[in-house]
Amino acid sequence: MKRFIILFALLIAGFIVSSLYAAEDAELAVKTKPPERALDVKAEPLNIAFISYANPQQVVRDSEGVVNYLQKYLGVPVKGFVTLDYGSAVEAMRSGKADLAFVDPLAFMMAHELIGARLLLLEVYANGKPSYHSCIWVRKDSGIKKLEDLRGKSIAFADQVDMSGHILPRDVFVKTGLLSSKRIEGEFFKQVYFAGGDEQAMRAMFNGFTDAAGVSQYSLSLLRIEERDQVIALANSIESPSHLIMAKKDLPEKTAALIKQVFLGLDRNNADDKAILDKLYGVQGYTEASLSDFKEVAKVAAGYGFVKKPEFFAGSSKP
Amino acid sequence: MSLFKNLFFTGFLSFIFLAMNVPQVSHAHVIKPEQFHPVVESYRRVMFLLNLNPVLWDDVQTETEHIANELETISKKIADVYRKTVNDAITKATALEEGEDPPGPDVRKETARVVFELSTRAVADLLTNELVELKASTGDRKKAAECLELSRKYWAGFEYEVQFTDQPMFRKIGLCWLKMVNALGNEPLLGQGEIPVDAKTIQKESDEIINYVKTSYGNFYAPEDRAFAPVPLASRTFNAHAVIPPKLPPGSNINKQRPRPRQILNLVARGVDETQTPLVAFGDMVFDSSLIFGEPARSLNINCNVCHNKSITNPQFKIPGLTKNAGGLDVSSNFFAPHANNGHFDPVDIPDLRGIRFTAPYGRNGRFSSLRDFIRNVIVNEFNGPEPDPIIVDAMLAYMMEFDFLPNSMLNKDGTLNSKAPKDARQGEKLFNKPFAQMNGMSCASCHIPSANFVDGKRHDIGSVKGAEEDSIDRAMDTPTLLSAKYTAPYFHNGSLETLRDVVLWFNKNYNLNLTQNEVVYLRAYLETISDGKEAYEENPDVAAPAEVEEQNFFMASWEFLRDKGKFDLADLLFRTVAQELRNEKWGLKYPEATEVVEKMAQIADAARAANQAGQIETVNVKVAEFRRLYEENTGLIGGEETPGEAKPEKKAAKAAPSVNQHIEDYPYVRK
Repeated sequence: MKRFIILFALLIAGFIVSSLYAAEDAELAVKTKPPERALDVKAEPLNIAFISYANPQQVVRDSEGVVNYLQKYLGVPVKGFVTLDYGSAVEAMRSGKADLAFVDPLAFMMAHELIGARLLLLEVYANGKPSYHSCIWVRKDSGIKKLEDLRGKSIAFADQVDMSGHILPRDVFVKTGLLSSKRIEGEFFKQVYFAGGDEQAMRAMFNGFTDAAGVSQYSLSLLRIEERDQVIALANSIESPSHLIMAKKDLPEKTAALIKQVFLGLDRNNADDKAILDKLYGVQGYTEASLSDFKEVAKVAAGYGFVKKPEFFAGSSKP
Repeated sequence: MSLFKNLFFTGFLSFIFLAMNVPQVSHAHVIKPEQFHPVVESYRRVMFLLNLNPVLWDDVQTETEHIANELETISKKIADVYRKTVNDAITKATALEEGEDPPGPDVRKETARVVFELSTRAVADLLTNELVELKASTGDRKKAAECLELSRKYWAGFEYEVQFTDQPMFRKIGLCWLKMVNALGNEPLLGQGEIPVDAKTIQKESDEIINYVKTSYGNFYAPEDRAFAPVPLASRTFNAHAVIPPKLPPGSNINKQRPRPRQILNLVARGVDETQTPLVAFGDMVFDSSLIFGEPARSLNINCNVCHNKSITNPQFKIPGLTKNAGGLDVSSNFFAPHANNGHFDPVDIPDLRGIRFTAPYGRNGRFSSLRDFIRNVIVNEFNGPEPDPIIVDAMLAYMMEFDFLPNSMLNKDGTLNSKAPKDARQGEKLFNKPFAQMNGMSCASCHIPSANFVDGKRHDIGSVKGAEEDSIDRAMDTPTLLSAKYTAPYFHNGSLETLRDVVLWFNKNYNLNLTQNEVVYLRAYLETISDGKEAYEENPDVAAPAEVEEQNFFMASWEFLRDKGKFDLADLLFRTVAQELRNEKWGLKYPEATEVVEKMAQIADAARAANQAGQIETVNVKVAEFRRLYEENTGLIGGEETPGEAKPEKKAAKAAPSVNQHIEDYPYVRK
């Protein structure tokens, strides 16, 4: 218990400090946009794969703002299309149908290894950070006070191939020595479920179908307000870089630089830009990053065979 | 991965960020609507409607038609039988022969029973049919996923009642769904991680659910001694004594209005510190407390401020079956206060309470000359509350007497327009004061007297109400003020007219005023001018949650007053309300650290309540002081103007802004 309290205190302290820096980042960042360019209708269009979070028609409508914004500053036609999963987004990039794609860190790392996809920008979330973590959630009245208490009990993850909904929260148990890095059926937990999504996993835990849920930190918001105080995060995973924009391998360097500048120019203090960002996965903005930011999560994903060469992400080279 | 799982896998994280990021920086306590399948929505609304008195049979028929249409996906024959039986039953209960009395309560109840039982069995059929389809589709992961998703959605029609009355089976069925999602396996992501479909598990778990649903709902009969609800009577683990918490039907919206309207309290406008006016502070608290009401308002957290948000209105307010036009409610239905049900559907538009000290009598039909009587009636007879302590009513009166109209720079003191008013409006003013023969020589201003806040304090039958019978004298309504009305659409006692122009057109038509098009324009301009006001809404919608927290601090100012009066039961109400409201609002704050602080404030309110109950007055004093201190120390953080740690500049200067990588390196769980 004492160890948990110390770790929890460290986490809070870490969060406060990093939030402080993030806030300073935001203050220091100068949101400059490149000059507008006349649209060259004959130019090759820039194709962007947007990941669905609602029905595809809604996502298409929501993406119109950013599509028009990009077109204004890039001077080439921009076309958005919706993919239902990251695999389809990566496949679209592999087959030349997508020049850019919005993906999660796991899909990016796999795409980077398999088709040379490049990291463009990380999303910045409401707390000012371009990262997030997963939590092990339990009901407060469950009597479960520490990870060890989950021995012989059940847990719900979101999905098998899911960074924040499986790999990161499972890693919490690996790091504390309760689970092997290689998955062994029946180890530690009596039963492991994959609920089909963060909300389903959280609700399975909340309703008492399982003893715990291992999903993203943001999953708390999927419970109703009066329910949230009834659950608690027993432990947090390592931080993962946030969701991101990746580009195809052969996107010209000059084009990539311009696209980054245009995205970085989105300013939440500007009402038009805010409207674009609110519909673009609700992010606060974007920030530059390097492959080495994925160093730790690549190691974790490698443990499951999703990443073959974690050393790709060990260096500090810029994309 | 299957389509179903993909949607959740990829979509949900994005959804979570949307859900988390956007509201976190902008809004206070917002109840998001539950997502149901359209047929489940219809079924749940049918259930709600059938429990009302009177039953809105037209609405029931509309909803059952949705269920019938869905049943056609199984069999047109089954759908037709359902449709015909339901419609015949409703016709029998509603169609009247010439001179025949309306059917009595027994007929209504029996018809409702038939409709509810058939609808419950219909949803059960849809669910079991889809599970059978699922069992036959395990060779096609995509189709199986779709069947699983749809059957799971149908289950939501019964799940709430099962959760409270049959916990063992609620958990068991919950696990069945989990196991089946697992059993769908995974499609590979870039060629990796494929897991085949586990058909055997899907068969087994589907059978478990089918068995339960068929047993509980396949031949469902509604028990006579309880409200209509899909309770699993036939289950061996059914708990007949379990209480099902009240729940509003899909399509309800009891969120407060956004953007938040600007409330003007006269004493604040005069520069008075609210914390120095304990009776007003307590009245404000009571206005925000659902604890003065009885069930079900109490459990649903409905209080005065929900309908009269910031003393004004709530144009989005809606409860199907109790609301006809958004922003209205039947306050004499059996849902909120069965004992005071008047037995007919008569929703009223929620009135604006601004300037209420000038607008007696009260109630849309002006049935109360005393505001005090009206307040008591709302608590006891509209929302089923216990007889209020006189201090509660005194405090509400004191608070409500401070509600002011919006300032209007285009009005003179006598209510006439000044030179700032638009030209069209000044033309309209002449028409407003012009006597019309068609109105017995009266003008609009005869009732809406400009020099008397546009009211005359009387009730008139203008023809907007349908009477009980042809010559009945029961149609008079109170003259409403027109001040600040520009922001309180819709109009008329039942909210039947959407705009002020509609109001002009209504009078033109019903009184044959023969207004020209220009005259309509002038009158509309006049109405919009006299009903205008300065800064009708709060400037920054992002401050809603911090402002709500600030209010709780203000409410605490009434502790000493209640203590000195020896009203410790009311102090209990105070602490309980404050803790409850803080916990509702804390999630809308910008920073998680602010949420933590507000939770701490709620815990202090809990501790003050416990000490109050134990008679430890000195401890309550200490806790209240602690509460105030904590709020004062964190006002900036709660308001979002200060970032976490901003009050500690030494930390800020400690390091240069880190890179993304440094963020991760700083994280204590990372092994370096």
